[in-house]
Amino acid sequence: MELTILIFLPAVAAGIILLLPQSMEQNAKWVALGASLAILALSIQMFFAFDLNDPGYQFVERHDWVEIGSFNLQYHLGVDGLSMPLVVLTTCLTLAAVLVSFSVTMRPRAYYACLMVLSCSVLGVFAALDFMLFFLFWELELFPMYLLISVWGSGRKEYSATKFVLYTIAGSAFMILGIFVLAFDANTFDIVELGQSDFQDTLIPLGWVFALLFIGFAVKLPIVPLHTWLPDAHSDAPTAVSVMLAGVLLKMGGYGIIRMCVTMMPGVAEDWDVWLAGIGAFSVLYGAFITLRQTDVKRLVAYSSVSHMGLVLLGIGALGETGLVGATYQMLAHGLITGMMFVMIGLMYERTHTREIARLGGLARQMPLITTGLVFAGFGSLGLPALAGFIAEITVFIGAFDKFEWAVLASIFGVVLSAGYVLWTLQRVVFGPVKHDWDGVTDQHHWWEHTVVIGLAALVVLLGVYPAIMTDMINPAIDTIMLRIDS
Amino acid sequence: MLFLASEPTTPTIAQEILWAILICPLVAWGLIAVYFRKIGPVAGYLAIAGIGAACVLSYVTLFNVMDANGGVAQFTHEWFTAGSLEVNLGVRVDGLTAVMLVVVTTVALLVQIYSQGYMSGDPGYGRYFAHMCLFTTSMLGLVLADNLFQMFIFWELVGLCSYLLIGFWFHKPSAAAAAKKAFIVTRIGDLGLLAAVLLIWNELGSFDVAAIQEWAHDEPDGAIVTLFALGIFAGAAGKSAQFPLHVWLPDAMEGPTPVSALIHAATMVAAGVYLVARFFPVFESSHDAAQVVAWIGAITALIAATIALVQTDFKRVLAYSTVSQLGYMMLALGTFGYVAAIFHLFTHAFFKALLFLGSGSVNHATNTFDMRQMGGLKKHMPWTYWTFLIGSLSLAGIFPLAGFWSKDEILLDAWRHDKALWVIGLSVAFMTAFYMFRAIFLTFHGEYKGGQPVDHHDEDSHFHGDPAHPHESPWVMRGPLVVLSLPAIAAGWLAYDHIFKDFVNGALPEVHAHGSSFEIGIAISSSIVAVAGIGAAYAIYMKKWVSSESIRATFAPLAITFENKYFLDRLYEDVFVVRILQRGWNRLLELNDKYIVDGVVNGTGRVAREASTRLKVVQTGQLQSYGLGVAAGVIILALAVFTANPL
Repeated sequence: MELTILIFLPAVAAGIILLLPQSMEQNAKWVALGASLAILALSIQMFFAFDLNDPGYQFVERHDWVEIGSFNLQYHLGVDGLSMPLVVLTTCLTLAAVLVSFSVTMRPRAYYACLMVLSCSVLGVFAALDFMLFFLFWELELFPMYLLISVWGSGRKEYSATKFVLYTIAGSAFMILGIFVLAFDANTFDIVELGQSDFQDTLIPLGWVFALLFIGFAVKLPIVPLHTWLPDAHSDAPTAVSVMLAGVLLKMGGYGIIRMCVTMMPGVAEDWDVWLAGIGAFSVLYGAFITLRQTDVKRLVAYSSVSHMGLVLLGIGALGETGLVGATYQMLAHGLITGMMFVMIGLMYERTHTREIARLGGLARQMPLITTGLVFAGFGSLGLPALAGFIAEITVFIGAFDKFEWAVLASIFGVVLSAGYVLWTLQRVVFGPVKHDWDGVTDQHHWWEHTVVIGLAALVVLLGVYPAIMTDMINPAIDTIMLRIDS
Repeated sequence: MLFLASEPTTPTIAQEILWAILICPLVAWGLIAVYFRKIGPVAGYLAIAGIGAACVLSYVTLFNVMDANGGVAQFTHEWFTAGSLEVNLGVRVDGLTAVMLVVVTTVALLVQIYSQGYMSGDPGYGRYFAHMCLFTTSMLGLVLADNLFQMFIFWELVGLCSYLLIGFWFHKPSAAAAAKKAFIVTRIGDLGLLAAVLLIWNELGSFDVAAIQEWAHDEPDGAIVTLFALGIFAGAAGKSAQFPLHVWLPDAMEGPTPVSALIHAATMVAAGVYLVARFFPVFESSHDAAQVVAWIGAITALIAATIALVQTDFKRVLAYSTVSQLGYMMLALGTFGYVAAIFHLFTHAFFKALLFLGSGSVNHATNTFDMRQMGGLKKHMPWTYWTFLIGSLSLAGIFPLAGFWSKDEILLDAWRHDKALWVIGLSVAFMTAFYMFRAIFLTFHGEYKGGQPVDHHDEDSHFHGDPAHPHESPWVMRGPLVVLSLPAIAAGWLAYDHIFKDFVNGALPEVHAHGSSFEIGIAISSSIVAVAGIGAAYAIYMKKWVSSESIRATFAPLAITFENKYFLDRLYEDVFVVRILQRGWNRLLELNDKYIVDGVVNGTGRVAREASTRLKVVQTGQLQSYGLGVAAGVIILALAVFTANPL
């Protein structure tokens, strides 16, 4: 029952929020806060109750759902060492997203309801073990995202929201085709069974099926050249949505590639490993080079995300246990670090109402606490040891080095570029002489702001100095996948 | 059997002591960062307490390792496993570690004491000491690490602290730029180190120092050994400011002067030398790599010394001198002078820290580092003058001060290895003596030129005195100068009876006899050039028998090259970063992204919209209808598949 409660508690909260009378609309945030605290507590309880010696799915729930012909769609949930950490990441960032939204006053009921539905759908994606159920949650995420960006966003918000939705739907169209072909072949939609089937070329060559699913996930990751929706969506989204988008939505792509593409069709993955690693390394460099040209802080972080998510694909492409663990770790690390980055930028934007680097500057004096958080997140982003990103990066590099030396050597060049864009940005945004335009601005001062910043920073440090807390959980799950790849 | 008494054994030190060395300054950092950032002098006292405790424990360790004749003790714990990657956390102590521990904690402690005076009144007082503690922790972690992975971690962390402290006065654009430059340039070198980390895991499946040393020993002149060695050296070249990555160190002088003394003279910049020394057997195994180290070291020493000749900024003379001396140490390592390099690292740490603190004391009195605004400070600041003179004589290599002994060993190794390297070393020794005494004569002798007037509008300035009437610094600053001049005089005497040599050799798995470490011919030749350098400076800047302007005019092309730092900064920043990278390549990619990659996306959208205008029936503008369309398409496709392949 834990997973059902976890997934649908936010949905229930959304319902309650929508039912609040107009006069109580400012209480919507408290309902959302309560729900996100509850799911965080529940997920942490599950995290520690998780049996590290059991490599299979845990907290499994399985009920018949819909029967169509010979197909039995099931309400099948469960988490293993791959999805459990991502579930916790989602609950942590949901809380962060709710807290940074405390300053939102426009139509709060609809806003928090959307945020809660978003959380529900992402949790559903990570916990679903039926491919149709997975797809349903996958698509569910679009509605709140569209509304959140187009109503509460800024700039060209309708354009960005539509682009985001259409791009994902286009990817989904490929994905659902792939799902059907696999399901018809194995005669089941069950992800566990699909992950144990040996597929041959059937209706269409298996490579095509892999490609169909891969495109659906790659849009989300995103890879170059399917990434241009991301900078637009990020720059026009409200802070909380950027946090969720960078923090967990992108991870759905990486998760899908590992869980579906690699596990169900390991043979194809092996044939194409060089492409996966190559696209990954290419995204790392391409993203980093373009990041250096950005003049808008949010677009800058968005492009750096493209670069960082390239490492996920590089780690997957290595198709070795170290690379896959590294890829998973990179998803967690990037979620926390970039999530924190967007929080800091959001706090700054709230006070200065600009994201233009050229207009900012010298803010370290006026906002010492926000500056500290931004510098911290920046060093996390450039892979400083003792922070989460370093462990992820070096594990990916080590995992892929054996097979794809060239791709790794190219990617480690991205390490210098990341130092370049992070430090140059810091220099221009927070250092240098004080600008009197910003004399009146306040520093980080609300309790919710402190909570988010300190909480995320603590997690980034925790994952940087005590990686075993995650790797001990991830390792067995990856071992299971490796058995598939090796056989 | 003759040397049985000095055979290294395993030290008996408890590992808790070694971990405590690491943790004491870390605790001080935590306390300052969380509680005492804003509470006046407490931050400074905490830093002294934390680093002082580490210092005491370091001496305990030193004596313990001395009892074991420099032998190795190692304590390893499992850290984490990711797939097949297994990483350990551990501490290793031996003769080399013990020397480094003592150098780091002694200099760090004296610098903290000095900073009580130098930094007093600065608005960032608490932040300063917090960063200093974090730096000390990271540096100690680096020297205590028993494996390369862990070294890399602390290696980057000292880089972080260096960044934070160079940019300590972040409101100054030059400081913010210098901090960024330091981090990025050293990170370019770190690419090599990172590649070495990956390579060694792939090759060996271990990061353990002892395992790597053994591996290198078993594969003399293997291609992988050479690649690994070059990777290590690339990292070392970044941190230790070796050509062509030396450009960050002079700019790093934007940081507070005690920071320069600790980080950019005595400890962090020597980390590269330490790293190469730590993996010395690897370089012994790869003569190609050793050759690269020797020549890069020699070139660095030469280039930096020539630039130092023409600097007008007191602190930059010292900065280039540091680069030059680090080149000297690398030169020693490349000529297999392991002991000579460590010995010079050891003596240099003391006299260079002394010189930097002396320059800080001068700055404290004159509010400037520009030597053209100084002069005649000898009578105003006798303590600073005499201690600075000791440091300079030591650096110049005058008998019997510390620098004489360590520099001599390097020149001896160079002489035995390659006469050309020895010639370079000797010419650098001449220039070193010359530029140091040029600085002394310009600063302390002649007439005082008034210093830099205080800008009372600058709210960040915490200058107390009156530059027009320079005064000696307070005792809290003079004390460390006096204490540091003791090792600057006497540290070299540890060369006696191979005490130092036997001790640091204990860190190596196998020691090759190198014969005597003293040869009278080398000693005399280097003493002659040192005295000649001082004499030339005396003739030009003290007695003005020859005018410096006329010399400059005679060698104008050379002088212009030196003054412009060989035009390297412009090549890197203006040509490479700005023109080639930012305005060229990156702009090209950005345009591609905007107009081609995204152009296709928007184009597709436009075509679709065009088409749908014609099919107005379908076009509802509602999101749901798009979803409906997708669903319909899926069903049609599914039906098509079913029809074609009945189950």
